[in-house]
Amino acid sequence: MASVLPEISITTQSSPTKAPAPKRQYPGALVVVEGIDGSGKSTQLYLLKRWLEIGGYRIHFTEWNSSPLVKSATRRGKQRRLLTPTTFSLLHAADFADRCERQILPLLHGGYLVLADRYIYTAFARDAARGCSPHWLRNLYSFAPVPDITFYFRAPLDVAVNRIVAGRPKLKYYEAGMDLGISLDRAESFRIFQERILNNYDAMVDTDNFVLMDGTVQVNKLQKLMRQVLSDKVELSKFAPKK
Amino acid sequence: MTSIPKNMASPNSKNGSPAKNSKKDKKKSGQSEVPSRFYGVPLPGVKLEELSGTLFVLEGTDGSGRSTQISLLTEWLESEGFAVQTMGLRRSFLVAEDIDTLLAENSVTPMTLALMYGTDFFDQLERRILPALRSGLIVLADRYIYTLIARSAVRGIGRDYLHGIYEMALRPDLTFWLNVKPEIAFDREFKKSQTISYWESGRDMSLSNDLFQSFIRYQSLIRREFDYLSQRHGFIEVDGEESVSEVNRVLRKQIAAALGIRSMHYKPSHALAHLWR
Repeated sequence: MASVLPEISITTQSSPTKAPAPKRQYPGALVVVEGIDGSGKSTQLYLLKRWLEIGGYRIHFTEWNSSPLVKSATRRGKQRRLLTPTTFSLLHAADFADRCERQILPLLHGGYLVLADRYIYTAFARDAARGCSPHWLRNLYSFAPVPDITFYFRAPLDVAVNRIVAGRPKLKYYEAGMDLGISLDRAESFRIFQERILNNYDAMVDTDNFVLMDGTVQVNKLQKLMRQVLSDKVELSKFAPKK
Repeated sequence: MTSIPKNMASPNSKNGSPAKNSKKDKKKSGQSEVPSRFYGVPLPGVKLEELSGTLFVLEGTDGSGRSTQISLLTEWLESEGFAVQTMGLRRSFLVAEDIDTLLAENSVTPMTLALMYGTDFFDQLERRILPALRSGLIVLADRYIYTLIARSAVRGIGRDYLHGIYEMALRPDLTFWLNVKPEIAFDREFKKSQTISYWESGRDMSLSNDLFQSFIRYQSLIRREFDYLSQRHGFIEVDGEESVSEVNRVLRKQIAAALGIRSMHYKPSHALAHLWR
């Protein structure tokens, strides 16, 4: 294993390895990244994925809202603005269930290291910000396997919001949380919506054993830390190429 | 209104067998509590005092005669001066088509299908049924959350999980269960379309290669779930094997009492006369 992975020497200050690992029914492992838009999570997961790919590990990458299953419904709902907090949430749960049952679970049982860009915590944070009951949401997603590691990328609201607003000519209706009627100004609505989501994420750090990652740290330094945490918490040799 | 036990279990509680749960429920229903119009947390943004309409639900397996009765009841209520709105499965604007596609492909997993049906249900409830109830209409539901719970439960999804999804659904004023033996249901369904479909015979569950056996076993499983749900939610059980006119008389009697309709006289119009057997 050491011959495949570059040496890392970094001391983790906040020792994020305390949480006891839940018992698994499968030989695979599940690593997820979470955080608001613009927190840098996708970039970091991409780099982690590249590192593992180059090393020849048995991995699979999956992202939120990617299956063709609910695309037409989501498009129909979004175009005509028909989605309520409840149907918005259920539609995404259906999409996730499809991915979970046909992709994530078989891969975990088949001994893969599964990397997920966003997971059920996205729904907990975002749908609760829309007014869904947190209790109802927890039940809705209770079929999902608990991740081995959840990296939570946290960037100050202004930093994250500026990253998104600067890169996009126009924020979409639901993305900006316009359905909540917070503000008629999209940028303003987006900011308030993201703030609510951020607060919901923060509340899950302890309850859901998030590994807190500072999104303002230099990309390569943060990646180094991410690789260190992964090596500490997941037995990577299980996923290494056989010689 | 009948007394409907308020005993929606918390989604986190243990999944019991139907028999075990029904015992527990009987104990609970002894407490005289005014049932809420929701099973659990209400839907976001709904004010109960605004809902002046009435919701009647007809449940039962395939071939139990629900649709026939809904047509007749609609005509009767309209002739009595009540405005009627109907709902059913796969009738939402949002996802009805998508569910049709999934069912045609029959490669969908039970959990995904359950949640798509959930979306279909809440889209109708929030955008069509609640507005109708706010306007004081009578809503007749051709199936409700109970069929959705039963179908998923026989496919291995936890009953409490399913009740948790629908805890924000509106509790019907009355729920009628048209109870029919699977053999009778088979005859009716076969007569209707000269064949038995993949889903109504539960072929995804690999119960039998013989289509008749598969249908009977599947519908028996569903019927058993209804039996459990009936106790849990206080259904009014109606013998669906009786003639159409007799079943209709029983339904009208209950609905007339709930709405304060005095006259029980009803004869179907020429357009619906063919249903009156």
